[in-house]
This record gives sequence, C-alpha cells and structure tokens, in this order.
Amino acid sequence: MKPQMKLVPDDPHISWAPERAEKTGVAASVRSISKRFKKVPVLDDVSFDVAEGESLVLLGASGSGKTTILRIIAGLEQPDTGRVILHGKDVTDLPARERGVGVIFQSYALFPRMTVEKNIAYGLKIRHRRRKERRETVDRLIELVQLEKHRKKYPWQLSGGQQQRVAIARTLAYKPQVLLFDEPFGALDAQTRVHLRREIRALLKQVKVPSIFITHDQEEALELGDRIAVLNEGHLEQVGTPDDVYNHPATEYVATFLGAANLLLGVVTRGSVEIGTARLPAEKETRRFRDGQSVKLVFRPEDVCLSPDANLPETCRRLANGVIEEVSFVGSYERLNVRLDLAHRPQTGELTAPLYQVTINTPEKMVGVPIMATRPKPEANTTRYKTGDRVAVGLTSFSLLPNYTLARQR
Amino acid sequence: MKLTAVRHVRGYDVARPVSIGVVLVIMLPLVFLPLLSIFIYGTSKGLGAFWSSLTAPEAIFALKLSLVTSFWATVFNVVFGLLAAYVLSRHDFWGRNAVIVTISLPTAIPTAVAGFALLLLWGPYGTLGRLLNPQGVQVMFTPYAIILANIFVTFPLAFGVIKPVFDTMSRSLEEASATIGATRWQTFWHVTLPSLRGAIVSGALLTFARAVGEFGSTILVSGNLALRTQTAPLYIFAKFNEGQIEAANAIAIVLALLSFVIFSVLFFARDWLEFETQEA
Repeated sequence: MKPQMKLVPDDPHISWAPERAEKTGVAASVRSISKRFKKVPVLDDVSFDVAEGESLVLLGASGSGKTTILRIIAGLEQPDTGRVILHGKDVTDLPARERGVGVIFQSYALFPRMTVEKNIAYGLKIRHRRRKERRETVDRLIELVQLEKHRKKYPWQLSGGQQQRVAIARTLAYKPQVLLFDEPFGALDAQTRVHLRREIRALLKQVKVPSIFITHDQEEALELGDRIAVLNEGHLEQVGTPDDVYNHPATEYVATFLGAANLLLGVVTRGSVEIGTARLPAEKETRRFRDGQSVKLVFRPEDVCLSPDANLPETCRRLANGVIEEVSFVGSYERLNVRLDLAHRPQTGELTAPLYQVTINTPEKMVGVPIMATRPKPEANTTRYKTGDRVAVGLTSFSLLPNYTLARQR
Repeated sequence: MKLTAVRHVRGYDVARPVSIGVVLVIMLPLVFLPLLSIFIYGTSKGLGAFWSSLTAPEAIFALKLSLVTSFWATVFNVVFGLLAAYVLSRHDFWGRNAVIVTISLPTAIPTAVAGFALLLLWGPYGTLGRLLNPQGVQVMFTPYAIILANIFVTFPLAFGVIKPVFDTMSRSLEEASATIGATRWQTFWHVTLPSLRGAIVSGALLTFARAVGEFGSTILVSGNLALRTQTAPLYIFAKFNEGQIEAANAIAIVLALLSFVIFSVLFFARDWLEFETQEA
C-alpha cells in the first residue's frame, strides 16, 4: 500500500532531524552535570558535546553513571547541578515531553497494545497531526526500517531486531533533537548484536540524527561511535575518536577498559623511559614529562614485536629481552605470554650480543614481568615460537601516562 | 502421558482417577448438591410456578435494586481502586503501608460489623447522620445506604486485582511515552490503561459478583423494606422466613446463575487477561 503522493521527493538522504533556524553545529551539550543518589555521588562534573549528525558512545562499566546521564538528557532525571543544552536551547528545566528527545530503551518499550504502525504513529497522534500526514510519515518510516511485511503486527510477534527498528522509527516520526540509545544490544545474542549494530550505524548515517549510545561493550563502542566518551565512577576519563581512545588512552582506566593493555612502571630519563634495567627510547613521548618523573608505559598486545634474534623491524623500538611462556591460538590471531627480563644488568660488551642468556624462567627464579603479545596469523605461521624460546621484545607504539600516587593529583 | 502411566501400575496410573475422584467426592455434598437442590426444588412445582414467583413485582424490584446498587458500587470501586492502585504503587510516602492494610481490611471484617459501622456513622443518631438529619438528609434505610454498604465490603477487590499489575508494569513504557511527548493524561489513556484492561474487567466482575450477593451489611443499613430497600438476597431471606420457599428459590436460582456466568467469563477470559500482563 504505497502512498499516492509523497510530501518530500524520494531522497535516500532525507534528514529526520528537526529543522533549525540556528545552525550551531552542536546538537547536544552536557555542561558540568553532577548527580547524587541518596548522598552517593553518581556523576561528578561531566561535560561533553555531540556535534550535528555525530554519534557519541558513552562507554563505562555498570555503575559508572552512564544510564543516569542518558536519563538526565532525556529529562527522566534531574541533575543536582549542571545544564543540558539541545541545539542551543537550555532544556534543563523542561519536562521530558517538551524536550523532543528520542529514547530507544533497552527493552525497546514498545506499546504492547498497539501495532507496529500505531507505535510509530504515536508521536504524531499525541501531537494531533492530521490523519493523512500521520499515514505518510508512517509509510516512509516503515519503508526506511524495512518492516513493510510487519506493519499490522503487535510487538510480541516481532524479533528483537525488528522491535528495535520499530522503536527507532517511533522516535524518528517526530524528528527528535537527538537519539539516545540505552544499551541497545544488551538483550540480544552475540551474532544478532554484530549484525544489528552495523544496520543501525548505516541507518544513522542515512537519517543524520545526532545520537548518543550507552554501552559497556568496548567493541560496540569502537564500531558505533564517531567519538567515544569513557566514563568511570561518575567522571569522564577521556573523550575522543575511537583511534584516540584506543591508541592514545589518556588514563590507565581507559587503556585497560578498552581492550587489553600492558602496563609497566618506569622513570623518564633524558628522552627515554627506564623500566628496571631496560631503556626504551621515547624522544617524542617523554617531551611532556620532566626528567625523573615516574610514568606508566602503556601498550597494546598487538603493538609488541618479537624477534628470535635481535633483528627487530625498523618501526619497532627495542624494550628488553624475554622468554615465551605460553603460546595459544585465539581464532584469528595468536596470543603469547612473554616474561620480560627487566633486571638484567648487562656486562661490558654484552650489549652488542643480540640475546644474552636469560635465566628468568627457571622455577627457582621466577623474576621478570609478564606481558601479553598478539600476532596476526601470517606472522605466526612464518616464525613459530614455543614455550621457553628466548626473544627480543620491542614496541611499535605505546603511550606514557603520569604515574600519580594519589587519585586527587589527577 | 502413556509412558508415565506404564511406569506406574502395569499400564494404568491409579493415582490419577483416585485423586480426581477424591476431589469430586469431597465437592459433592459441599458444593454440587446444595447448588443442585436449588434448581431441583425451584422447579419442582413446574416451570409455570417458577416463572410466576420470578415475575412477582417484589421479586423483580429486589433483583433490579440489587443489580443497580451493585453496578454503582462497582463503578465507584473500580475508579477508586484504579486511583488507589496508581497512587500506592507509584508513590512512596509516610504511612503508605498502613493505607494498603486499611484498604484491604474490609475483606476480613464481618459484614455485619461493616453494616453496624455504617449505621453508627450515617444513622439518625450517628456521628455524621446527627448533622445531616436536621437538614432533611437521610442516608440510611435508602438505596444509597445499600450502595454505601456494597462499596464498603467490596472495597479491596478491584484494588487488589489492579495493584499487582501496576507493580509489575515496566516504568519504561510510561517513560517512553513521556519522551515521545505525551502528557501524563495521554500516557495514562493510551499506554497505561490499555495494559490494565484485563485487570479492570476482572476487578469489576469480582466486585459486582460480591456486591450482588451482599447480605450481612445490607440487612442492617437498608431496613429491609419490600419494594423500597429490599435487595435480592434480603428478599430470599424474607420469603424464607414467611415460609414462601418457592419465591425464595426462584430468586436463588437467578443469583446462582448470575455468579456462574460471571465466574465463567472470568475463567475463560483468563488467556485474554494474561496477554495483557505478559507484555508489560
């Protein structure tokens, strides 16, 4: 049943975002939000912006306060201090229904007594739009989310993914200021999850509505977000592009929460980092630290390069020697546990020798620091390692974080 | 089914017919036979006699009065039960549990006590009645007294059915409605109320069934005046006292059939009612 006439010409890139007089470029802005629940602080001075058409992911463990932020933006919760600004308008004191925000709840919250069509038309119905306008919008949206065959069905007759698409269409119908997704894939199995988030990503690129996602899944965050905001116990640790937060984590928490990370303690010494007896040249990275400052060296398992002789690739900076402790295949890559020797004091002339005798893995002398490394399959197939092999260990990239002993020094 | 039966006693599960039989045998003298006897005695003098006792003006009036007073009591208690369930389920306030207990009390209070309490309040010498009487307002011994008595004794029924549905209803439905832009009233009308439909229907039927059969409180507050304040159960009682068994019996049959219909609807509408809650 296609409509005879369409108000807007069929353009795949039609925007469902509301028209605005003022184009500030910032769709939503959260300024210094703080919130306590019965004296327990849940949010502490959180601020971030979402640009027009951008999707931002709020990433955090459960209890980090991410759902509270979402509810505050939606108007379902009041902040103790701070403002919420949507498209230049301060909405902090407006009730939820006057904010024009689209929330996709984790449970989808579709109205059980309404069909797919009626669910989608609800926003227009309560705005007393004409029947004709309602029908045209619903037709377009049902086409957009590809539910033509299911328009007369009730929510309980739909799969999780279909329900979610109805929930999105239901919010798009009234051209929301911003879309808020509360753990959108939490209730789905792993396979559907991956499939759906690609679908949603594509859909959002098409409708160009700024969106905020909430998740505790770092993989999901990296895939869905134009930018990621990492939240830890109520404060923002870092906001940045997926590349930023993954490759240049600003804090130890970000480094360890987004994927696996190795952490070593070191001291800055004239353009390099001293970790035990090892010396890692880091001219650029140490620039913002002073000599003698204690730092944390953070690097990802995939940034570790190994060599059975001392010939590490040129992109790799040598860290130390080590011994392979364990080799395991994890599907698409190989994972290696390596124990680094960071206590060896080289004898004179020994530095030239590529690999000195490493004695750290004898049962009596379990010294050294374990790290994790991963290698892609082709590399793993060319050079095979087994437990006990001695290797030179280098790093292709790493980041340095100040090592504060007290949290409040942050 | 067959497999488990084989495992019991050589192809036949004895426990099954025995347990079913025990239930039926116990129910026979306690429920089935009394009900059956109403029908047997009521029609023993022929259907003509039954019909004429049923169409006696007093009988018709008593039935009508019962239905009308029960109807208004039901309307009031469903609306109030809905409001009370909403308030007590959504808002936490000091003394909330005390209110819940108080609302539920009439289930346990003997109906004669309920009638007596109403008399003490509204009667000519009651706390309120003393003030109203000089104004010419007389509540007791009128149909309004019967409605008041019905409201009192059926007070917790609708509330008791609706409140659990409110308690288990997901808040996110109402929150979704609010973020979409609905006012509280629109949310209640379009989202909350449809989910409560089953609970409202069953609450109303229970209330109505209970109110139609109310006797103990009604006899105290109504004065039991034929053609004025005599409800169907009171009519049965009065005719029985006068020795007119057939007249009493005819109305008894009607009341028995009415409750049978009401509970059949409740039972067979259960699938439909459960559908309401499953998606909440």
